[in-house]
Amino acid sequence: MEYSVIQVALVFIVTFVAAIDQFSFLESLYQPIVTGMVIGLILGDVQTGLIVGGTYQLMTIGNMPIGGAQPPNAVVGGIMAATLAISLDLDPNAAVAMAIPFSLLGQYGVTLIFTIMSPLMSKCDQYAADANPKGIEHINYLAMALLGLIFGVVVTLFFIGGATMGQAVVDAIPAWLSGGLSAAGGMMRFVGFAILLKFMMSRDMWGFYFMGFGLALVVSNITALATPALLILAFIGFGIAFWDFQQQTELKGAVAIEDGGEEDGI
Amino acid sequence: MASNATTYKNLTPAADLDQATLNKMAWRSCFLQGSFNYERMQAAGWLYSILPGLEKIHTDKDDLATSMTHNMEFFNIHPFLVTFAMGICLSLEQKKADIPTIRAVRVSLMGPLGGIGDALFWMTLVPILAGITSQMAIAGNPAGPIIFLVVFNVIQFAIRFGLMNWSYKMGTQAIDSLMGSMQAFTRAASILGVFVVGCLTVNMGGTQIALTLPNGTTESYVAHTCVVDTDDVADFEIIATNDEGTTTSGMVDAEGNALSGTDASGAAVEAGAVDLGNGKSEVTYMELVTTPVTVDFASILDSICPKLIPLALVMLLYYLFAKHNFTPMKGIVLMLVLGIVGGFFGIWA
Repeated sequence: MEYSVIQVALVFIVTFVAAIDQFSFLESLYQPIVTGMVIGLILGDVQTGLIVGGTYQLMTIGNMPIGGAQPPNAVVGGIMAATLAISLDLDPNAAVAMAIPFSLLGQYGVTLIFTIMSPLMSKCDQYAADANPKGIEHINYLAMALLGLIFGVVVTLFFIGGATMGQAVVDAIPAWLSGGLSAAGGMMRFVGFAILLKFMMSRDMWGFYFMGFGLALVVSNITALATPALLILAFIGFGIAFWDFQQQTELKGAVAIEDGGEEDGI
Repeated sequence: MASNATTYKNLTPAADLDQATLNKMAWRSCFLQGSFNYERMQAAGWLYSILPGLEKIHTDKDDLATSMTHNMEFFNIHPFLVTFAMGICLSLEQKKADIPTIRAVRVSLMGPLGGIGDALFWMTLVPILAGITSQMAIAGNPAGPIIFLVVFNVIQFAIRFGLMNWSYKMGTQAIDSLMGSMQAFTRAASILGVFVVGCLTVNMGGTQIALTLPNGTTESYVAHTCVVDTDDVADFEIIATNDEGTTTSGMVDAEGNALSGTDASGAAVEAGAVDLGNGKSEVTYMELVTTPVTVDFASILDSICPKLIPLALVMLLYYLFAKHNFTPMKGIVLMLVLGIVGGFFGIWA
């Protein structure tokens, strides 16, 4: 599939903005659910873009920058998954699986950029000692532009290469492999779920996980509630969490109000 | 020189910052990580964010240099809650507090706010919001991404601007007021988060096994029809029997009752002969066919508990992440291998 210069330029701009947005600005434009739809609009297949974006989003739910960790890059991964799915007419789950190597490259790219930005800090020290606010501002703008530029160029090259060369690769993939990739794509989301659990779980919280699991089985089997299922479940979960919060704060308040440092965790 | 100072030259408290400056700083806080790097992390972005306030507070150029210098030190905080630290630190700067005090407060805010921000945004808001809107997007509904953006940013900006004003006005007292119930808050957010992940395991987990297990064989009669001489019809009564005396091919069983079975299209038919009147008869006879019986693995699993495969995979990954220090990437590679190897053997539905 051939794409016009305008489409290639738009992909570049989207990547430029998303690359900056992953750390600064709204920190939500870069999410695959958003870039999937935007790439779909650019390449003329919004439906596929939406499906791929939603699928990729589920995988990254737990792969957020929790505790400052660098997850596989969602900007590169999300945009590549959408372009691969649309330009090569791939199954959305298979496209998500195929985008994984690209997201890994993006992760390494981020690590590289964070390292090469370090020397800029001595320049900032100089501006600070000179009481030069403009200098500090320029360093920040420069760093963001650099990040966007590097991501934009790399993803655009992947996009051009992927759109023209990828077809040959896809044709060479046997059916069992594309089926396997598709299954793997559907399983990626469990990685996200498990990471969330790792960060939130403590020994006394397993009950809440299985409560959610059980209630979701019940609610999702009621056809009429299929669409709002998660919202209904979130209400129930909120009620439980809020009740627990009240219990915890009331217990603590009875002991000491000023003594904020003491916690027995029971 | 300036970097070694522990107090500001001009110790007269500056005038309160006006609302426009506070808003400008809350807006700038969006770019906290613009120059993120491994040496100082958010330091330059932090300084960039509070500069409008610092410039108003420190009219003395040396004091501004001193303040900018100590604010260029290592800094790393949750990006959505940074305005809370900004408000407190600016109230201290405005009061011309000792630089070691400002530094201590700034450093002490880094840890707890990181935990609460992760609990609030990445573990509670995003899983719920992205879970619901991804489902809409996968169904092809463009409202999914739009709702995601609107809700996320309304909450983000309410928190950014709200905390900026609140913490600036409360000054250092704000730390105590938040610390008091922070642990309970983080716990409650985690409960909701864990609960929602349990729900997502069901709602979003589509992985199922297509494996079928052989479960012995079953024997059934399949009908055949042919036209023969009427004189020969008797030969078709019993064509063949097996060791137990059961008719394996023919029209009647050992007791002489007509056999019944199914024809090629699956319709039930009875064996017998129809005289066509021209010396020929149309004979319908049965042949015993042995067919293997399979058990659908998925339906067995579902009868134990639906969504067992997603649950098992989440548990496996949790175990690897929590107990074996697996990185997310290793988990993804494991799923990739599992998917492809399973695909090769055709076990995934």
